[in-house]
Amino acid sequence: MTTLITKTITKICLPLVILFSISLLLAGHNNPGGGFIGGVMFASVIALLYVVLGLNYTTSVFDPDWSKWFAFGLLLASITAFAAIPVGHNFFRSAFEFIHFPFIGEIELVSAALFDVGVYFVVIGTLLFIFKNVGEDT
Amino acid sequence: MDSSTLIMLAIFIPFIFAFLVPVASKLLKQRIGWFAVATAILTLSLILKIMPIIIHGDTIFGEITWLPTAGLTFNVYADGLSTLIGLLASGIGVIIMTYSIGYMSTKEDLPRYYQYLLLFMGSMIGMVFSANTIQLFIFWELTSFTSFLLIGYWNDKTESIYGATKALVLTAIGGLVMLAGFLLLQVMTGTFDIPTILHDESLIKAIHGHELFFITLLLIFIGAAAKSAQGPFYIWLPNAMEAPTPVSAFLHSATMVKAGIYLVARMHPLFAGTDAWFILVSGTGMVTMVAAGFLAFRQTDIKAILAYSTISQLAYIMTMYGYTTYHEPGIGVAAATFHLVNHATFKACLFLVAGIVAHEAATRDIRKLGGLRKEMPITFIIASIGALAMAGLPPFNGFLSKEMFYESSLEMGAALGSPFTILLPAIAIMGGVLTFAYSIKLIDGIFLGRRQSKGLPEHIHDPPAVMLIPAAFLAVLVILFGLVPSIPVNIIVEPTTAGILLEPAELHVKMWHGFTAPLMMTIITFIFGLGIYSRYDAIAAWQDRFNLKHPKISVNYYYDLMVNNARTSAHTLSAISQPGTIKTYMSALIVTMVVLVGIPIILLGADIIPQSLNFDIAIYEVLIMLFMVIAGIAAALLPAYLPAIIALSTLGYLVSLLFIYLKAPDLALTQVLVETLSTIIFLLVIVKIPQKFKERIPATTLFRDLIIAGAVASTVFIILINATQGIIPPFESLSHYFIENSMTLAGGKNVVNVIIVDFRGYDTLGEISVLCLAAFGVYNLIHSRGDKT
Repeated sequence: MTTLITKTITKICLPLVILFSISLLLAGHNNPGGGFIGGVMFASVIALLYVVLGLNYTTSVFDPDWSKWFAFGLLLASITAFAAIPVGHNFFRSAFEFIHFPFIGEIELVSAALFDVGVYFVVIGTLLFIFKNVGEDT
Repeated sequence: MDSSTLIMLAIFIPFIFAFLVPVASKLLKQRIGWFAVATAILTLSLILKIMPIIIHGDTIFGEITWLPTAGLTFNVYADGLSTLIGLLASGIGVIIMTYSIGYMSTKEDLPRYYQYLLLFMGSMIGMVFSANTIQLFIFWELTSFTSFLLIGYWNDKTESIYGATKALVLTAIGGLVMLAGFLLLQVMTGTFDIPTILHDESLIKAIHGHELFFITLLLIFIGAAAKSAQGPFYIWLPNAMEAPTPVSAFLHSATMVKAGIYLVARMHPLFAGTDAWFILVSGTGMVTMVAAGFLAFRQTDIKAILAYSTISQLAYIMTMYGYTTYHEPGIGVAAATFHLVNHATFKACLFLVAGIVAHEAATRDIRKLGGLRKEMPITFIIASIGALAMAGLPPFNGFLSKEMFYESSLEMGAALGSPFTILLPAIAIMGGVLTFAYSIKLIDGIFLGRRQSKGLPEHIHDPPAVMLIPAAFLAVLVILFGLVPSIPVNIIVEPTTAGILLEPAELHVKMWHGFTAPLMMTIITFIFGLGIYSRYDAIAAWQDRFNLKHPKISVNYYYDLMVNNARTSAHTLSAISQPGTIKTYMSALIVTMVVLVGIPIILLGADIIPQSLNFDIAIYEVLIMLFMVIAGIAAALLPAYLPAIIALSTLGYLVSLLFIYLKAPDLALTQVLVETLSTIIFLLVIVKIPQKFKERIPATTLFRDLIIAGAVASTVFIILINATQGIIPPFESLSHYFIENSMTLAGGKNVVNVIIVDFRGYDTLGEISVLCLAAFGVYNLIHSRGDKT
């Protein structure tokens, strides 16, 4: 598995896949995608990195505290859920608005998208947290 | 300020201040006691402010919206009865907390102590002012819980833990039984609201005529009896004496044990006037009164004697609240209420004396004490006042309420007719005689006779003022209430009686009525009391011998048996229900599903498979299905881990392929990604375990598993067939709603995503929380394994 070709390809793929996962996240509201899929996509490419290049190599270049990622995600999701209450709406009430930007065109702003971002971070964080802990254990 | 607001404040201030105790203790250090005293005084003054309304005979009602959907509001109701117990809780609270400043060593964890005390006081006040039964139950259990904390305050002593657990087990179970009673009451009346029931004649009539009447009364009474240590539940109170003495004085004589009495009094209008009420309440009271009075003889610890005397005195009150007939409701209510007030004063006073003696003489064993009158003259006087009041001697307040007890016993006996005319007064005298004997023993054993030099400190003297004044204050009250009974009677006994009987009450209590029957009974009591007292030690010795010979004739024996057996049977049960193998859990789960589906199938009968099946499937679907079946069989049968996992992943990828054909790109994408990840994790894990394939499965197990698998497969098949084209018309699909509304309500075209983040966002929030927990779970599993070895 760890031939030079796989290693090289993996390194090239990494930023592309991450970009793809972000695009999945953002596209989610109207097209296939969303926080969960985007998160799993992100996690799988990092997992691929672990498998192909080894845990030690990966952690030496890139080793965030994944638990912080999911903590942040959960916080963001909760805040989004509660955000409507002070304004007088029900718990989890979401809002959306179509805004016309010059040059870019019409863009839809959805509060649920923030929630989706929260889900995205939770998924990445938990999966990679589990992954790293299982992988580290020798 | 609105008077209902005052009550709400009185309930919440102790709680709020209890949580401020840690902050305040940073400032006050070990003088934190004064903070608690100030809180109690504040609470007391709030309750005193509503007194004019209560004395006038009015009631107060107020509410805050709490759970509107459940039909519950946080509402308070104040009449004479609740105000009386509220006054006791806060007033005695002030006295006890002041006394604690002297009693508790400054080396103790004082903030925790006062925090518990304040929490307890708040729960007690909340309990009595609660206007609905659910709220009452919540505060009721809070008092049990805080009492548990207080009894177990010295949490390194085995006896404390035992006593605390026992009190919690018995009173909390009683509380749950009581809750069942409250729910039945709601079934009968349609409301949780106490004042509504009290002030509605037709509801009370409905209760009396209802078929659930007796069971409801019984359930609620069990709760009350458990709390007030009546009947077989008395056993927790003596063990609760492991608490610091001020706690015993507060909870186990003046306030918490009165909760049961309060409940009986509160429920009086609802249930009284029936035979069941008299037999249950008075019957339990009379048996407890005599039994506890008798058992007190054997005790050698001052606090244990006081505990038994408390049980017996509470039984007096219980008995009197039970005195009621259909024609003459509430014969004993006024007497009971007056005795309730008096008991709180003299018993709290005696407990404080017990604390002083233990504090100064370093022992509470009555066999080691004696002759302390010269060294502790002031304590001696205070103790004598308290004990003589309990014994029922004039001119103390105990005399008055005991006379009333005798009088109401005579009246009740007369109302019931022979043989009760003789029986009830006789039992009352029996209780009085025993009370007289142990009251005298307290004074004699501690203060009279010769001082023992062995085991006692050289110099014993009266305690500091901070301990003496609270006790002295209570002693003064005892005399004051005895000499001028109109004060307590007018201020609180009459409104309380009116609150219980729901009609204005007027009482005439005085010391001298002339040579009446109750006075004769009192004289008989004293003569017999002195007679019994001369044989006191002999009786105690006989009790000891009896107990040694017949250890099984004791409620404690059965309590211990129950608690100890609970542990072993719980172990057995969990060993059966949680054997630890995933296989067993899975089989149990799956078999349950089969059974649950099987029952309706059997009930519905034959046509579980439709006559004409419509197999309209494309060729690629058949192919994919075929591959899936092959992959599944391969995953099960392949002899090594690696190929088995690959087969499993193949199965997963085939499913995602199916999703693509079924036009669900979202699901397919998710499936592919999740499958990839789980395969990688699997691969990571299996590198570390021996590559030999699992242990050989016995043929019987294999056979069993095959049967389970077959059953599950056919069940699922039947469900699916029936869901799509079965005999039952298929349910309308939910998806229409989401497809129609996803754009208009949430502004998204991707229905799956809109469902996840919007329509069912609450669900998703729960799921991602679980995901985070699972991550921590995995972390712990992996890292704790290393620690053990």
